[in-house]
Amino acid sequence: MSASATNKIPFLYTSVLYFLGFFLFLEWIYPVQQITDTSNLAIFIVYAAFCFIISMFQMKWWLSFLLKGLTMLFIIHTLFLPYTFLSKLWLQSFYIEFAFNIQALVQQNWYDMTALFRSFLFLLLIWLMSYLMYYWFVVMKRIFLFVLLTVIYVTILDTFTVYEADGSIVRTFIISFIAFGLANFFKVIDHESIRFAWLKKTSVWLVPLIAVVLFSTLVGYAAPKFAPKWPDPVPFLKSAAEGAGHSGAGSGIHKVGYGEDDSRLGGSFVQDYTPVFQAAAKEEHYWRIETKDVYTGKGWEPSKDPSYQEQQDGRIALETFDPGVETERHETIVEFQGNTNIEKLLYPYGIRQVEAESDTEFLLDENTGEIRTQANGKDVSLATYTITYDYPSFAIDQLRETTAEDPSDIKEKYTQLPASLPARVGELAKEITAAADNRYDKARAVESYFGRNGFTYQTNDIPVPKRGQDYVDQFLFDSQKGYCDNYSSSMVVMLRTLGIPARWAKGFTSGEKIADNIGDTDNTYDVYEVTSANAHSWVEVYFPGSGWVPFEPTQGFSNLTDFHVDVENLDENAQDEAVEAPSEQDKEKPEQEMQQEKEAENETATTSATADNSGFRVSWGYVGIGGVLLLLLAIAGYRLRFRFKTIILSIKFNRKTGAKTFQEAYHHLLKLLKHSGLAMEPGQTLREYAKRIDNRYGTHEMGMLTDHYERMLYNNKMEQSQTETKKLNELWKNLIKRISA
Amino acid sequence: MQETILYNEKIEKVLSNINRVMIGKEREATLSLVALLAGGHVLLEDVPGVGKTMLVRTLAKSLDCDFRRIQFTPDLLPSDVTGVSIYNPKEMEFEFRAGPILGNIVLADEINRTSPKTQSALLEGMEEKSVTVDGNTIPLNAPFFVMATQNPIEYEGTYPLPEAQLDRFLLKLKMGYPAPDEEVEMLERTSTHHPIENITAVMTKEQLIGVQEEVNNVYMDHHVKRYIVNLAAATRTHPAIFLGSSPRASIALMKAAKAYAYIYSRDYVVPDDVKYLAPFVLSHRVILTSEAKYDGLTSEQVIQTIVSNAHVPIRKEFR
Repeated sequence: MSASATNKIPFLYTSVLYFLGFFLFLEWIYPVQQITDTSNLAIFIVYAAFCFIISMFQMKWWLSFLLKGLTMLFIIHTLFLPYTFLSKLWLQSFYIEFAFNIQALVQQNWYDMTALFRSFLFLLLIWLMSYLMYYWFVVMKRIFLFVLLTVIYVTILDTFTVYEADGSIVRTFIISFIAFGLANFFKVIDHESIRFAWLKKTSVWLVPLIAVVLFSTLVGYAAPKFAPKWPDPVPFLKSAAEGAGHSGAGSGIHKVGYGEDDSRLGGSFVQDYTPVFQAAAKEEHYWRIETKDVYTGKGWEPSKDPSYQEQQDGRIALETFDPGVETERHETIVEFQGNTNIEKLLYPYGIRQVEAESDTEFLLDENTGEIRTQANGKDVSLATYTITYDYPSFAIDQLRETTAEDPSDIKEKYTQLPASLPARVGELAKEITAAADNRYDKARAVESYFGRNGFTYQTNDIPVPKRGQDYVDQFLFDSQKGYCDNYSSSMVVMLRTLGIPARWAKGFTSGEKIADNIGDTDNTYDVYEVTSANAHSWVEVYFPGSGWVPFEPTQGFSNLTDFHVDVENLDENAQDEAVEAPSEQDKEKPEQEMQQEKEAENETATTSATADNSGFRVSWGYVGIGGVLLLLLAIAGYRLRFRFKTIILSIKFNRKTGAKTFQEAYHHLLKLLKHSGLAMEPGQTLREYAKRIDNRYGTHEMGMLTDHYERMLYNNKMEQSQTETKKLNELWKNLIKRISA
Repeated sequence: MQETILYNEKIEKVLSNINRVMIGKEREATLSLVALLAGGHVLLEDVPGVGKTMLVRTLAKSLDCDFRRIQFTPDLLPSDVTGVSIYNPKEMEFEFRAGPILGNIVLADEINRTSPKTQSALLEGMEEKSVTVDGNTIPLNAPFFVMATQNPIEYEGTYPLPEAQLDRFLLKLKMGYPAPDEEVEMLERTSTHHPIENITAVMTKEQLIGVQEEVNNVYMDHHVKRYIVNLAAATRTHPAIFLGSSPRASIALMKAAKAYAYIYSRDYVVPDDVKYLAPFVLSHRVILTSEAKYDGLTSEQVIQTIVSNAHVPIRKEFR
């Protein structure tokens, strides 16, 4: 390259490349103002430009040192020091600052560092970077590392800080690709010793480069882009750190799970498949924890402070349905997993009796149905308990035919609505239920409304109602996407606008069946695993003569409650519709599945499609990690394949002598050389190749090995002496070392 | 690579003799030796005065061989080559006067100037190692080596050798002009007396015959034979070649390669030998298509491309 001056890339072009590097470097500086408390960013940028220009002209080192150093001091001076530049006083105060900060540094009191010193360090960094960048961009013309670092830096800032890198990433793209093109072009010119002179005259060669970069930028900019497939990692990291519940307070994004505060609903959450408990049960049912009755426009609250009554001997006096409802007695065993902390009872409808550790006290709040577990006056979370319950099965015809008036206290309490509720919610409810003439059909109409009218089940990108906005109204008319809380709250509110008493119930769904038919032959159980992701909310509607009947408006979930049609007082009309009720659910299924529900739930009506889905999702993380690990291993294996082969062969070569081993070793060498970009050309003989290799590496090993190999191959000389083998082995290893170096 | 490898002792002496006389003609000397040792003959195609005669005379003197020269002219008769029976009135019988072909090393100068009849007298001798005069078959001397020359410039009044007869020559060479430095050196050397006066024989005829035997015993592996056949096959399918090389060409290439390996004191042939020799052995045995000729291609170039693309066997199959 130094042979002729004509090969040198003209100053103009290297400067262009270097300045592209400068612009990339600026992408590092721009965000500093936003993510730190740096002000006066312009000064740093000017200083960076100054340093880069000085470097570009390649002045004598002492001159550039002086210029950059003095400029730096001058900037410090104008920013911080009130004295005359470089006067005695100035130097003194500078020295004092310095001494103080060095001390702070030594004592690791990073926070004590003064603004002057921090600016000083930052300027120093810029200074050093100007050198480094000159080396990368002009001397080595290797810029990939820096570009990669820049992209990583910008994307990380965009993801994890307030910095919006939309423009930055486009700029980085354009700058870096033009820089790549130039650097590569110059490298090729250097490498092939092409005279640059002819290029000087015309810049036509630049046009295609710039055209391609601009074209791809435009296409990239204009082309439609997929929404991110992965959930935003930030909330996940945050929630993993905080462990918030999805029904928890306020805005932002939560982790799914059971939480107590439902006063401000909304916002996205991430799935969490941590197991909460396992239950041995005869059938699937809701695990109820509590209900709430006051809708605030933002969320749910209990209407009054809880008043707990101790339940004697674990007999729970909670009636959610009328004694007239047909029931069936079952038993279920609940066993909590890990260190879940729910100091309340999870129970099926119709709970009668709990058996747990003997000193456990059960405190029931009849208003909400919440049962707290205490021992010696303190809240405890039970590890395991057994519940005996009379599981209700509601007669559809009875529900449908009920005409009795609601008791006034229920009517009053469970039709509460905030005054701020927009009227269109009620209008919509009327519209939906226009065709229904009884409470049951109305409830069903509202329940199934969400399955058809453009609602989407999703857990991310869910808005939080803004000030003055109603949570239900926002869901029904604005966002139309959400999860159980959106659906259940909306159904309760809509029913209430119709004067139907309804309340909001929360707890868990039945989870995923993990074992079949455990236990005795005549008394078998299925085992379900319930995870945080199974936390759920649903609707209870009051029917005079039957009590509170659960409904399930959430897309992709089906009602776990038993309904039946009483044969005795069956009329034809009722039968039709009774059959219709579940089939309605069935019809919705495919559509709902397509919408990718994220929570696992009941399989009675839906078979196990959704459950499988959930299983898939549970393991998705592991599959992902496993896949990445495998991929990394595979890449590492692929990258290191020659090294492995070398090791194996050298062991073999040490132990076994003979033509075959030697041939294998020799051909491995050929492959290794090929991998290093020195492949044998077609029609080349071994001697010619060996000569080339020896010239390339300044060795004689390849020639000697080849000579031996030729004897073996072309002279049929198969045997080799011990000393010969040893020598060949040595040569082979030396050469491989040389190649791999 | 070759220059770093030692020549066979016996051959080295011959080559150093030639080097004392000729300047910058190692390549031609080596190739002539290849033909000599392989029992073949050389066709030199070049302008006069570049040292063809000197080369062959030095060779003859070094090997203690009988050197004869035939200057081919249009009126040369076959008997001028083979010899003639003359009636001896004293003895009352015909007496055979041997022609120049009965020497050991024969320089057939400007072979394309004579009539085909005379040409074929020489070529028959080269092939059969005997000549027939007046119905008597007379065996030629051993060793027997012909170096024929032809002038590529003049076509007027020449009888170009037909392809089948070109086939009789193991190698076809070109001498080429010496480099300026070499030519100066040549002038220096010949200023007082010609260096050929000073050289002595380094090998006897018997030794030469022994060497020829040894050359025959040089080992050629199956892989290398396969390589030769690959090359020959490639000439038969190459688009620029109208007539590819014959199996006889393959045999010639094998013999030449063995001699070449022997010269470099190897008792086995490597593909490099074949690769180096292929253009000299094959180029006069193929006929290019008219299109290729009009494109300015020469058969040497075509053979060179074939050689530089043919796969070289580099892996042994173990059974």
